[in-house]
Amino acid sequence: MLFKKMLRTIWHYKAQFISMIFMVMLGVGVFFGFQCEWFSIEKNTFYFYDKTGFADYRLVDESGYSETDLDKILAIEGVDKAARYLSVLTNEGKENETVSLTVTTNEEVSGFLIMSGEEYDASSSDGVWISDQYAEKNDYKIGDEITLKYNLHSITGKIKGMIKSSEYLICIADENQMMPDFNKYGYVYISPLMFKTMMGGIEYYPQINVLSNLDRIEFCSKVNEALGKTNLILTKDEIVSYAEAQGEATEGKTMASILPVVFLAIAILIMATTMQRLMINEKTQIGTLKALGFRDRKIVKHYTFFGLAVGLIGSILGIGLGYFIAWFIFNPNGSMGTYFDLPIWTIYFPWWSILVIIGMIAFMTLISFIATKNILKGNAADALKPYVPKAMKRWKIEDSKGWRRMKFSTKWNLRDIFRHKARSGMTLFGVVGCMVLLVASFLMMDSTKGFVNKFYWGSMNYESMIILSQTTTNEKAVEMASYFDADYCSSSSVSLNESAISIDIYHIENDYMKFLDKNMNFVKLEDNGVYIGQRLKQENNLKIGDELTIAVYGSDITYKVVVAGEIRTLTKGIVLTENYAKEAGIAYKINKLYSSWDTKKINEDTTYSNDISASKSKSDIIVSFDSFMEVMYTMIGALITLSILLGVVVLYNLGVMSYFERYRELSTLKVVGFKDRRIGKLLITQNMWLTIIGCVIGFPLGVWITDILLKALAAEYEMSLMFNWMTFTIPVIVVVLTSFIVSLFVAKKNKKINMVEALKVPE
Amino acid sequence: MSLIKFDKVSREYKVGDHEQKALDNIDLEIEEGKFVVILGPSGAGKSTLLNLLGGLDSPTSGTITVNGNDISKLSNDELADYRAETVGFVFQSYNLIPTLTVFENVSLVKEITSNPLSVNEMLEEVGLADHKDKFPSELSGGEQQRVSIARALAKNPKMLLCDEPTGALDSETGALILKVLLSMARNYKKTIVIVTHNQNIAKMADVVIRAKSGHIKELINQDNPLSVEEVDW
Repeated sequence: MLFKKMLRTIWHYKAQFISMIFMVMLGVGVFFGFQCEWFSIEKNTFYFYDKTGFADYRLVDESGYSETDLDKILAIEGVDKAARYLSVLTNEGKENETVSLTVTTNEEVSGFLIMSGEEYDASSSDGVWISDQYAEKNDYKIGDEITLKYNLHSITGKIKGMIKSSEYLICIADENQMMPDFNKYGYVYISPLMFKTMMGGIEYYPQINVLSNLDRIEFCSKVNEALGKTNLILTKDEIVSYAEAQGEATEGKTMASILPVVFLAIAILIMATTMQRLMINEKTQIGTLKALGFRDRKIVKHYTFFGLAVGLIGSILGIGLGYFIAWFIFNPNGSMGTYFDLPIWTIYFPWWSILVIIGMIAFMTLISFIATKNILKGNAADALKPYVPKAMKRWKIEDSKGWRRMKFSTKWNLRDIFRHKARSGMTLFGVVGCMVLLVASFLMMDSTKGFVNKFYWGSMNYESMIILSQTTTNEKAVEMASYFDADYCSSSSVSLNESAISIDIYHIENDYMKFLDKNMNFVKLEDNGVYIGQRLKQENNLKIGDELTIAVYGSDITYKVVVAGEIRTLTKGIVLTENYAKEAGIAYKINKLYSSWDTKKINEDTTYSNDISASKSKSDIIVSFDSFMEVMYTMIGALITLSILLGVVVLYNLGVMSYFERYRELSTLKVVGFKDRRIGKLLITQNMWLTIIGCVIGFPLGVWITDILLKALAAEYEMSLMFNWMTFTIPVIVVVLTSFIVSLFVAKKNKKINMVEALKVPE
Repeated sequence: MSLIKFDKVSREYKVGDHEQKALDNIDLEIEEGKFVVILGPSGAGKSTLLNLLGGLDSPTSGTITVNGNDISKLSNDELADYRAETVGFVFQSYNLIPTLTVFENVSLVKEITSNPLSVNEMLEEVGLADHKDKFPSELSGGEQQRVSIARALAKNPKMLLCDEPTGALDSETGALILKVLLSMARNYKKTIVIVTHNQNIAKMADVVIRAKSGHIKELINQDNPLSVEEVDW
């Protein structure tokens, strides 16, 4: 019988039950979905790294490593596997298309997975294993011939297999490309034998890739000892395919630890309030059961089930929604698929997220339990008495003239807000939460867009970037800069406090490259020191005026430089002028030109063709920026949609609750002669007040939370808070409009008020 | 001339699959300024009659004329205007707005009525001028009912409709409330219609209507009604 009663009670409060389940579903869904997203990135990428032998360390020496060097490395205790390795940009014969030619002397190190075609054959003299995505975009099939050109060498091979390699998990040609574009850039693997043939019998491997569990300091010291010199040793954290992928996971983790937690907190708190109010509404029924002789335990069990049922159903639906959200962001056909080239896309969830959900269900159950227990306190007669809200007390302000002049509706709403503090507080909390989520979402989007826009459209004023051959001398590079109307740069790595950082030495005459200071304003590089990026500044706790000692790999040479300013960069490193580099005695090799020529013109001009390794147009880079923004838009779009949805559910739920709690008062007004529209206006006014207050509180809170979020994300992007008037206007409009529409919807219920009920004595 | 006229008024409600007649073909006329008491057991239709008269509900068939205007076919907004201008309600459970003070509860009617009476005067009349800044929760049941009467009269309506106005009060307070109600109604020349179970109240009425099973069984005009003091409570 009690079960029947329970079903009917749920039906009676169907609006509240549905909205509670919906809230739990949204809260759990967003929380679970965002946790799954970063966890799935981590799990899938680690599986890929493991299966393809992604190198833990890379020794880099432009002069190349011999077989003997490799043996010395392999002899080090703690080195599991090692291979001589090469990855160079080559032209693949087609205009504007580059391919990284890759060779590993041990396919278990920095190798690949075969997606289709023949297994890898290290003794093949003509086999080419090509990136499946590049092949698809460029219409290559197994059996097709492909010609690869590297400096003066070229070789034609036959495509034997389609592959994926974790070395190219994020397949970008250099740090200026943000997103992969397989139409323009891909990779191939050939055997060492074929590479030797291509190079005319010369073996040239500028890298040794190593699998080892040794820590960096121990590994570096053992390697330097084994080879008898200081080597440029890159850890996997300094490789794009690892650092950026894990950065993406960290970014997801950071976002998941703030915004979805806000979501879950809103859902839990509002649901707890709704459940408590629902129990209060059931007070006389609980009292009746007690008076009839039902034991407290049975009544508590009966009502506790409400919380458990809502928590369970909402969570199950939420987990489903979470899977959908995770899939929406992390799937091979979505925006993430344009970033990662993964062989598998399985959605995983962190085990503790289930614990959080179980904890939430337990909390919901506990709320129902405590609420029922509280009602059952005392004897049956107490339990039977209807719930009476707190009596009003006079405020001091009421003696003022201003108060007396206030309209009745203003006084009524003001007092009602304070009389039902929990409900009003929750409405406010819901609006604040919704506002925070929206402001944060829009700010994140604007800051990313603003940063990338300013970086690409503001900083990069060149038409094309020319990558010079390794054999090109500085004198020739300067000559070429003049010929191609270009500024030039030397990009390399140095060691700072045992960690590799980038060092970019610029010669700027035409302003084809500009730099952004920490406040996102353009700054001219002076010749009085180096400019540090934000990540470098944070990690090493640096400030202007500090002296840094940087070490050159492959030698014992060190340089002392002074920090002259702060800038924002895409890479972790330092930037300086050529003049300061000369002054500090830093040796450098020019390897990039930033030209006003377009790539077509550069490719057609043969004057310096032997000195050009590759050229990339700015528009190619901009395409990758658009793809990057697409990933951001997907996540932000999902957050905005779900925030609005949560706002609607929260406001509707509280609106309905408020309506039912004031039903008697509203009926009285109606009986006295107030029209539906007037009563509706009363309800809407109160909600709008709370909405406006919520916006005022939520607005700075959203900015503050985004600032925290951006600082937490600074390890990956050197973004600062950027916004325009739309950033703030849209969330306010959305929240106010949502609140207004929901209030209007609730206010429409007035028409259904049964005035006759108002004449009756409450049961 | 009659203030209120019911002409073949019926009110049916759908209960489950079948129709239930709360009022069945009622004819009734009440003159202006009269004190009318409607008596009857539960289910007699007396509250339905009051609700129809008060514009809280509309008849299924028949016409109700108040002050020469047919109110049986008014729209929602027109009914709201009718309630605002013509009817003053007094409920058994007072139905005051808990978040408004005594003064504000009575002032409320000024928001909707074109010709309200002075709020302070009404509060003086019901003897609550000293309590005007209190909230309903700070008052006794009798005091709350007096606020309710003041609110009903402040609208300056044609008639006062009272549903068991003393039902929630002890007999002494009930008598006091009736005294206030009657004296104010007489002073301000209002028609009063009271629905009650209490036979004693009927002794004070000009007209007593006995309802049963949706019909009017009896309508008695009393030429010499008793005063509150004369009734044995």
